[in-house]
Amino acid sequence: MNVTGSDFTALLPLIILAVTAIVVMVGAAIRRSHALSASLTLIGLAISIGSLWIAAPLLPRQVTPLLMMDHYAVFYIGLIAASSIITVLLAYGYFEKYEGSHDELYILILVATLGSAVLVASSHFVSLFLGLELLSVSLYAMIAYPRRRPLPLEAGIKYLVLAAVSAAFLLFGMALVYGAFGTMEFGEIAARLARPDFNLWLVLPGTALIITGFGFKLALAPFHLWTPDVYEGAPAPVSAYIATVSKGAMFALLLRYFYQTGSHELEPLHLVFSIIAIASMFGGNILALLQNNVKRILAYSSIAHLGYLLVAFQASGDLAPTAVAFYLVAYFVTTFGAFGVVTVLSDGTRDADLIEDYRGLFWRRPAIAAIFTAMLFSLAGIPVTAGFIGKFYVVAAGASAAMWSLVVILVVTSAIGLFYYLRIVVALYSQSTQTPATTSLARPGVVSLIFLSAALIYLGLFPSPLLALIHRLMPGLI
Amino acid sequence: MLDLLWLVPAIPFASAFVLAVFGPRMRSKAVAVLGAGAIAVPAVLMLLIAAAFVSAPPAGGAYTQVLWTWIGVGSFRPAIAFYLDALSLVMVVVVTFVSFLIHVYSTEFMRGDEGYSRFFAYMNLFVASMVTLLLADNLLLLYLGWEGVGLCSYLLIGFWYQDPVNGLAGRKAFIVTRVGDTAMAVGLFLLFHSLGTLRIQDLLHTASDQWQIGSPYAVAAAALLLGGAVGKSAQLPLQTWLPDAMAGPTPTSALIHAATMVTAGVYLIARTHGLYELAPQVQLAVAVTGAATLLMAGCSALTQNDIKRVLAYSTISQIGYMFFALGVGAWGAAIFHFMTHAFFKALLFLAAGVVIEALHHEHNIFRMGGLRKELPAAFWTFLIGGCALAGLPLITAGYYSKDLILWSAANSTAGTAGLWVAGIAGVVLTSLYTFRLIFVVFFGQPATPVSHRPGPAMMIPAFVLAFLSITAGFATTPFAAFMAKALPELHEGGMGMSEVINSTVAGLAFLAGLLVAWYAYLSNPALGRAAATSRVGRVLHRFWFSDWGMDWFYDRLFVWPVVWSAKANKADIVDSIYTGLTRLAALCHRYFSLTETGRLRWYAAWIAGGSAFAVAIAMFL
Repeated sequence: MNVTGSDFTALLPLIILAVTAIVVMVGAAIRRSHALSASLTLIGLAISIGSLWIAAPLLPRQVTPLLMMDHYAVFYIGLIAASSIITVLLAYGYFEKYEGSHDELYILILVATLGSAVLVASSHFVSLFLGLELLSVSLYAMIAYPRRRPLPLEAGIKYLVLAAVSAAFLLFGMALVYGAFGTMEFGEIAARLARPDFNLWLVLPGTALIITGFGFKLALAPFHLWTPDVYEGAPAPVSAYIATVSKGAMFALLLRYFYQTGSHELEPLHLVFSIIAIASMFGGNILALLQNNVKRILAYSSIAHLGYLLVAFQASGDLAPTAVAFYLVAYFVTTFGAFGVVTVLSDGTRDADLIEDYRGLFWRRPAIAAIFTAMLFSLAGIPVTAGFIGKFYVVAAGASAAMWSLVVILVVTSAIGLFYYLRIVVALYSQSTQTPATTSLARPGVVSLIFLSAALIYLGLFPSPLLALIHRLMPGLI
Repeated sequence: MLDLLWLVPAIPFASAFVLAVFGPRMRSKAVAVLGAGAIAVPAVLMLLIAAAFVSAPPAGGAYTQVLWTWIGVGSFRPAIAFYLDALSLVMVVVVTFVSFLIHVYSTEFMRGDEGYSRFFAYMNLFVASMVTLLLADNLLLLYLGWEGVGLCSYLLIGFWYQDPVNGLAGRKAFIVTRVGDTAMAVGLFLLFHSLGTLRIQDLLHTASDQWQIGSPYAVAAAALLLGGAVGKSAQLPLQTWLPDAMAGPTPTSALIHAATMVTAGVYLIARTHGLYELAPQVQLAVAVTGAATLLMAGCSALTQNDIKRVLAYSTISQIGYMFFALGVGAWGAAIFHFMTHAFFKALLFLAAGVVIEALHHEHNIFRMGGLRKELPAAFWTFLIGGCALAGLPLITAGYYSKDLILWSAANSTAGTAGLWVAGIAGVVLTSLYTFRLIFVVFFGQPATPVSHRPGPAMMIPAFVLAFLSITAGFATTPFAAFMAKALPELHEGGMGMSEVINSTVAGLAFLAGLLVAWYAYLSNPALGRAAATSRVGRVLHRFWFSDWGMDWFYDRLFVWPVVWSAKANKADIVDSIYTGLTRLAALCHRYFSLTETGRLRWYAAWIAGGSAFAVAIAMFL
């Protein structure tokens, strides 16, 4: 297998991520400085995003059988790297108050980002698993990063064990599919699947087990139980990272794997996906209803949101990749905004994660409360926010595929969901006896919050530029 | 020049936002400059745009500016787009210009009010919404503006919210107009469903291609839009909210409840005129509604004691004339009357505001009197406005616009003799109640001492409007020619009455009203009192004073049964379904939560179980 110069150029965004991780590691070995590590990471991520434009003219390009660099991958790598920038900004202010060493966190973020980028570009079971493990192993350490506190440590161990369990299912599933087809390349699988002479009794259980592995990462019911515990225990910026980058990369992979191999057309799997979607929408929303911990509410809400996304995924057709991509962007912006508020309000000792912490916030910090309100409205899908447009397209995709029962359940469960979002909003604006806050908040966190709220409203009012971009990039998928 | 059109709504909108967020912390001078300046710039801009439009008319007589498409699914692609033709141009120019004058007036009128910045935030938001409504290229955007002005109207009527009466008036206005808005929304759904577009111009073309004259779809759509129009423009049977809306600050009454928002219904009908031409019976209904409203409101205006309520009924009556004109197919005449009415009615309200403020917020005209010498500037401006309203022949703008409407009623294929007679009777009534007001307020013996005199910020806008109330009438012919570019011309026919006869009769009607008012309220006040206290007079007075008992009737027909049923059904049966649902959700929450044990082995077991389940379904179902 020859790797040419053009292949390197196409892979440039991934290579830069890897190099940055090494640079930060070496830098930390020479001199420990939180600001230096964070800025090196930011620079590396920015260059990686910039290199997408260098790579773009060469695409689509199959680099080794493992990686497919196409516009679809470029779109999601850009989204993931931009999200990592937000994570670094949030984490900087958050960990500044933390007494231990800081530099390793940024190495972990870079490696996790590299893993996610490999995931969205992978066209082979091996690269899929490689990316998955790069991501997961970094996440274990990121979750348990404040290692002297009991909650993060517990969350890290839970995630480690359960991720290992689910990876075993995933591997077994891949093995069965390999057994049926004798190949691990997505393109080859698609070719074999198109001929009727394969062993359906290997393919179906294999794919179902792959769905288990994906479902765990995406926190879809019934593989969702870990989510609230891990979100609650992990430091807020890391929770935001798990909720967005980890899930977004996984969903992009899910879409690529099933659409590219054609596995989503296997009739029996429709029922599996439908049940998972319904269980996630109901489970997530109902579990969140009377919850008093904001991080747990966001965890349950993310379960429900992934359920909505699964509705669009099943719709297939032209509208589905667009709907998914737009929904993911809106969901990223909103989730980062919500976790960002939790992050900037947290102090060095504990995260501000109880609804009580937010009672009367409007009278103490009106701007932060307004931003949080906007984020919650977007999660609930109220117009003028990005969340509304996202949900609109998901519903449109579902309706155009005439999946009425799923669409109706989506609408009903969204209505249930409104309750717990508004519960937080009510707390934000209720009268409080506390005096206005005087301490200033971490600047990088506030800057990213302002950026996120601007993006939220912009996407809610002017969705067409992003939609046009998605339309231009998505045809590369199938 | 034309591509700056989007700034006209954008500037007041941005300024409303700034005032809402930072207003409470700004000095009142800064609030005044920003509040009025944010209207001055669009007003000037609009004049420049109008100049550009007239000197170099765009192709097809209309300019469309598409800003962006909001969302697009199938044929539903509502664009944020503006449509500028002769009709919307005239409306926007008048609205921005009059708004600017009233904003200047407000800087002094509202001075010292604790809600100073809030007032300007609402007013700016109103102007932005109103301009959006007028410029909207599709009915969805128009509806957004329509609801925006409704919201601002509600907020401004209840501006002094500490007094519950004001809050009630605001709610009444909001709820009553909501009845019309619902009809309009249904009309929008119907149009989109049957024609597949909401772009107004496409819609009118498709409608005239697809529908026969008198087709049930056209009739239903036109009638439903008419429902929205009568609600917003306070016409029968939804006019009851406007007199109560006078609870708002006087500049609000001048701007929203006289000059601009209440004419939105007229605009809506003119904008969708194609639909009404396809539904002649609905167009006739428009004319009859207008005629009935103008007579009923004229009678009510005769009996009111509150200076602002007299003007409110007069507004209802004058908008009645506009509907009347639309109904007989005199589209241009209706818009012409809108323009002159915006000038003279705003002027009357501004002058009334001067009087009210001069007399310690006294509203009762019988506790005024003799103000001619005390407040000469207010007297002369009010007199000019009153003459224009009553239609003093040959020199006032109101005369020319009303005369054109009356002539059209007699000479249109859609007009009838009955309608014309009603219009002439309306002139007598208008002249009568106008001069009753003038004589009682400005002549006779002073009743309340004058405590406050207006400054230049209040009087200059009044002078400008007084000037326009006279001169605007001389533009009749060029105005009609300009309007003909956007609206169809009158289908001449009917009685074929000559202009001279029509004008003479209208002039005599004006004189008759003036003479009766003079005789009953100035020369021989005892006679007026005697007429009002006779048995028939008392009954009529009570009847008209209470707006023909409409509020009484609606209270019994709608309000009481609803309140009664709400009381009777306190433990709502229907509600128990929803309570049951929430209980069920809470119960589910409790049971689902049991799965969140925090135990690792339990979680792992779920993954295993879920995966076995998935495999089983995939293989065996």
